[in-house]
Amino acid sequence: MGAFQYWLMQTLFSIQFTKPFMNSKWGWPTTETVHFFGLSLLVGSIGMFDLRLLGVAKRIPIAALHRLVPWGVLGYVINICTGFLFLSIAPDQYIYNPSFHFKLLFMMFAGVNILVFYSAVFRKVRVLGSGADAPVAAKIVGGVSLASWIGVIVCGRLLTFYRPFRCPSPPTDILLTCFPK
Amino acid sequence: MTDLSVWIREEPTVWAFPFVISCHTVGMGLVAGISAAIDLRILGCAPRVPLMETKKFLPFLWFGFWLNAVSGVGLLIAYPTKAVTNPVFYLKLAFIALALVFVRMIQKRVYNDPDLDQKPVPRRGRNLAIASLVCWAGAITAGRLLAYTYRHLMSGE
Repeated sequence: MGAFQYWLMQTLFSIQFTKPFMNSKWGWPTTETVHFFGLSLLVGSIGMFDLRLLGVAKRIPIAALHRLVPWGVLGYVINICTGFLFLSIAPDQYIYNPSFHFKLLFMMFAGVNILVFYSAVFRKVRVLGSGADAPVAAKIVGGVSLASWIGVIVCGRLLTFYRPFRCPSPPTDILLTCFPK
Repeated sequence: MTDLSVWIREEPTVWAFPFVISCHTVGMGLVAGISAAIDLRILGCAPRVPLMETKKFLPFLWFGFWLNAVSGVGLLIAYPTKAVTNPVFYLKLAFIALALVFVRMIQKRVYNDPDLDQKPVPRRGRNLAIASLVCWAGAITAGRLLAYTYRHLMSGE
């Protein structure tokens, strides 16, 4: 994993097209602001959908509320793009940061949960009309989704408190949380 | 108060400053995000969602707001000088105050119409939704810029 982390850091460092913008005075603050817009869009629309699965606002048919999900996807895409800008300019600060590792883990939980939802649960809940309670499986998916996105936000916020340093001695860990050499 | 300020700012535990700022970000997602999703519905997205029923999400919006009011006071106690000497801080508060006025106006004017889901939302309601979206975007932008625009981090510096 250490070799992969090093390769990824070098590859991201070699990206040039993002550097003029990100090194400009407004680059970093603008990107952070847009990252927060994306966060709010995602949490608002996906969070509302999760809450409906959990039993809030039951008079809304689930299929009708599902039409707001593309706005959450838009928020996600915005945040992948802005997240890439951060990574391309300071890859070492993310790739060796334990908080970033946990952020990716929570994103993976959210991703697997989405796969479970669309492969096994969505066809059961999309036919439910106004007033219908979602089945237990859908409630679990809704709860896991909410918890995962909150985990992603918290880990994102904690990044600055777990900035990695240079490894004091040659590291042997599987996943490095300090930079080698 | 000084002790609390020093504790939030300097205590080397994740339950001090890191916890407070994490709450502030989750709360932002709830208050601005749910408000924005309702605004999008008012503006015509997901038209088959009965608007009246979206009222049930308002307690979560207000939970996000109070979470941020409390965590925001915590952040202010940690770095009072940093905030009060920065004009952008007052701009942020103004955006939040305006956004809340628009949310309350949507609660009063839009949700109070018993025929709400029988006809398109009137122009006035749509304008309130746009105004609310703009104010939340302004509040988030001003909030993020606080980290870049302060002139004094602590008094005496």
